[in-house]
Amino acid sequence: MPPNERFNADRERLPIDPRTDLPLPPRTQPGYYPGFSTLSQQSFWDAATREVVRKRVHEVPPIRFFNSEEARLMQTVCEHLLPQDDRDAEHKIPILPFIDERLHHGRTPGYRFEDMPPDGDAYRLGLQAIEQMSRANHQRAFAEISWREQDELLKSIHDAKPLSGAEEIWKGMPIHRYWGLVVQDCVEMYYAHPWAWDEVGFGGPAYPRAYMRLERGEAEPWEVEERRYEWKAPPVSASDPPEEEIAAHKGDPPAGQGGTH
Amino acid sequence: MKAPIGGEFAAPNDHKHHLGPMQRLDAPMHRYPENEDVDYLIVGVGAAGGVLLQRLARAGFRVIGLEAGPFWDTERDWVSDEKGSHQLYWEDMRITGGANPLVFGANNSGKGVGGGSVHWAAFTPRFHPSDFEVYTRDGVGTDWPISYWDLKPYYELLELEMPVAGPAWYPWGDPHGYAYGAHPMGGVGNTLIRGCTKLGIGVSAGGPVAILSGSRNDRPHCIYRGFCIQGCKVGAKASTLITHVPDAVANGAEIRDRSMANRIHLGKDNRVSGVSYFDREGREHFQKAKAVIVSGYAIETPRLLLNSACDGHQKGLANSSDTVGRYLMAQAGTVVLGRFDELVRMYKAPPAHALTEEFYETDPKRDFARGFAIQTVGPLPISFAKQMMAARGAWGWGMRRVMMDYNHWAALGLLGEILPWPENRVTLADERDQWGIPVAHISFNLHDNDKKLIAFAKNKTEEVMRAAGATEIAHEARYAHLVGAARMGSDPATSVVDRYGRSHDIANLFVCDGSVLPTQGSANPGLTIQALAARTADYLISQGASVFNSDKRDMTAPPVRPELSPPGTHGKGVPRFG
Repeated sequence: MPPNERFNADRERLPIDPRTDLPLPPRTQPGYYPGFSTLSQQSFWDAATREVVRKRVHEVPPIRFFNSEEARLMQTVCEHLLPQDDRDAEHKIPILPFIDERLHHGRTPGYRFEDMPPDGDAYRLGLQAIEQMSRANHQRAFAEISWREQDELLKSIHDAKPLSGAEEIWKGMPIHRYWGLVVQDCVEMYYAHPWAWDEVGFGGPAYPRAYMRLERGEAEPWEVEERRYEWKAPPVSASDPPEEEIAAHKGDPPAGQGGTH
Repeated sequence: MKAPIGGEFAAPNDHKHHLGPMQRLDAPMHRYPENEDVDYLIVGVGAAGGVLLQRLARAGFRVIGLEAGPFWDTERDWVSDEKGSHQLYWEDMRITGGANPLVFGANNSGKGVGGGSVHWAAFTPRFHPSDFEVYTRDGVGTDWPISYWDLKPYYELLELEMPVAGPAWYPWGDPHGYAYGAHPMGGVGNTLIRGCTKLGIGVSAGGPVAILSGSRNDRPHCIYRGFCIQGCKVGAKASTLITHVPDAVANGAEIRDRSMANRIHLGKDNRVSGVSYFDREGREHFQKAKAVIVSGYAIETPRLLLNSACDGHQKGLANSSDTVGRYLMAQAGTVVLGRFDELVRMYKAPPAHALTEEFYETDPKRDFARGFAIQTVGPLPISFAKQMMAARGAWGWGMRRVMMDYNHWAALGLLGEILPWPENRVTLADERDQWGIPVAHISFNLHDNDKKLIAFAKNKTEEVMRAAGATEIAHEARYAHLVGAARMGSDPATSVVDRYGRSHDIANLFVCDGSVLPTQGSANPGLTIQALAARTADYLISQGASVFNSDKRDMTAPPVRPELSPPGTHGKGVPRFG
């Protein structure tokens, strides 16, 4: 399936402009740094970094770990975990192919929780659970239920209060660890892409050229100033809760798995 | 400007081995045949292994450093990229459990020459004098078999060898100063200074960090690009790969890279005879040695000792006390994130560039023993997104939204002392790795004192963040660093090695790395690990050939040998106070 077809976004999946309550048209570059392009700076990067980033953008790996049915389902899951409906068809960031590549090569982050199956098995079990939950609650396959229903089903995994139907699987695999595994992979693939750096205003590779404006969030001459715009998540989305719900989560968060110090 | 004058920066087109943009390994490296009985075989060329190798080679010993990962060419192998830097981390399988499972890989474990010193953030505070006697002072943990004053000369040496940049007056622990200038502030450092100053908390700005603030010899100064934990391609941040390994190789040491140690062999008379290992093609080899030093860090060191069990040492080598693998520690590393109305751009400047140790010591007014530090951290986008998942449950559009605000957030990390507990331990699992070696199983649980300390430290860090002006705050619970699991002590019944790193059970088997630490304070352990390695080297040099042909244990303290520092690093430039 060509990548563009996978992202045939409905209008109802577009973020909303709160001033007009109308969908915001998809952009080449969402985010608050219009015109900022890390790739435009690549001749200032060292050759090894330039090559790694070039491959990431231009050599999207083929699907080898997931079978075609699993790949279709996982693609839909990725579109919920990191929706890109605000990006135009030419500027979607591939996520699934890079997750597939990691699993195909059996690459791990260097550990596995003792109560978890190997990462590849966990991915497959998770997909089975999603399918079972959909059938138990909607009598239809996950691919056939509405976007909102899909989002709600996934949110029940996020909340560690899964919809019924996959009790056996969740008994053998801690649901919060499964969620962490998949979301972390999705963000690793998305925010590794230079278009995502442009979106969030991250300067990207900076060797051999240095940064010279370290204080007060000032922009380098080749960076751009922030220009914010308001947007609301699409009405079919359950993944952008109000601050009160986030606050409830903040009390006792699970331990993180990044490396910062 | 679209491109640099002269065109895009090109890859090096020489055939040299690059250690930073200017430093090269020019002379060919010595190679020892496997059947030659070398003096010291060091397993693991990381923070400790690099220093040991350098000093022992400079003193004239025949030494090999066996390293599981590659001998990096930093210009060709390293990148300014989060996702592209996984090769720097130990990502072979480990199984983690207990009530508070630790995570490994990028979080705390290095692979390749330089080990974890390649991807540390390079905060280099010394331990405080109190850290060496927490049992005597507070009735918790255990005392070290040495004091701060035994280690102080080595702190001073290593601070010049790395070298460490920092303020001329550092007020905590044993007050001292730094010979190399402090770094300019970035957005996160300013956040910490602002918050602490408002609350009347002392703060150290611009160090201590093992990052060059001015160029030295063939190492350039920092360029503030923020990719410290992805490996410093600039060559400004210290790693033993660029600070000690070049001098080791110049003095005849061999580094045998991509060589995964499998077993330490016991020869006759209860002495070890060498180490078997797998080369990059998976072929097994055996290297003879008169003495073996295990420097594999807190997981691989106990794993290798346990996997070397044999007749007479059924529980593993050096493990008659059943202490190998036990008393594993990580520091509490909860990250407090704050959102500011103004931009921060925390990807600029080193993640490590300001800290406070105002809360380091036991305070009788608090309901727990020991303390913590508050330090800057500077997560890049992928790490920050993972933190937002943990801290706010972010996903979907919520993730996209908070990530679009990346430049408005600052992050501070607490670094808290977790006490040593016997059941926090490394064992061997049934599962095997790609070589057929049993993988490590790690079990980790917080105890009452640890939990109270973390809760207090988190609240204090949030207070600082709020005082700095954050309008929204979240936190991510996590752990940083690994030490313990082969601890040193005076009593062979409760420790693995003596105060010089020699195993109590086998006279020519040593451990020298973070795993020998009996307790950990709330200072980042890298400097202390390297200082201990320099001290062990001085001891081994003083003992000379008796290590190779005698079981006698001479506990006389060695003289400090500043002449063994890498060339051009030693001087009289350490400011002392009092």
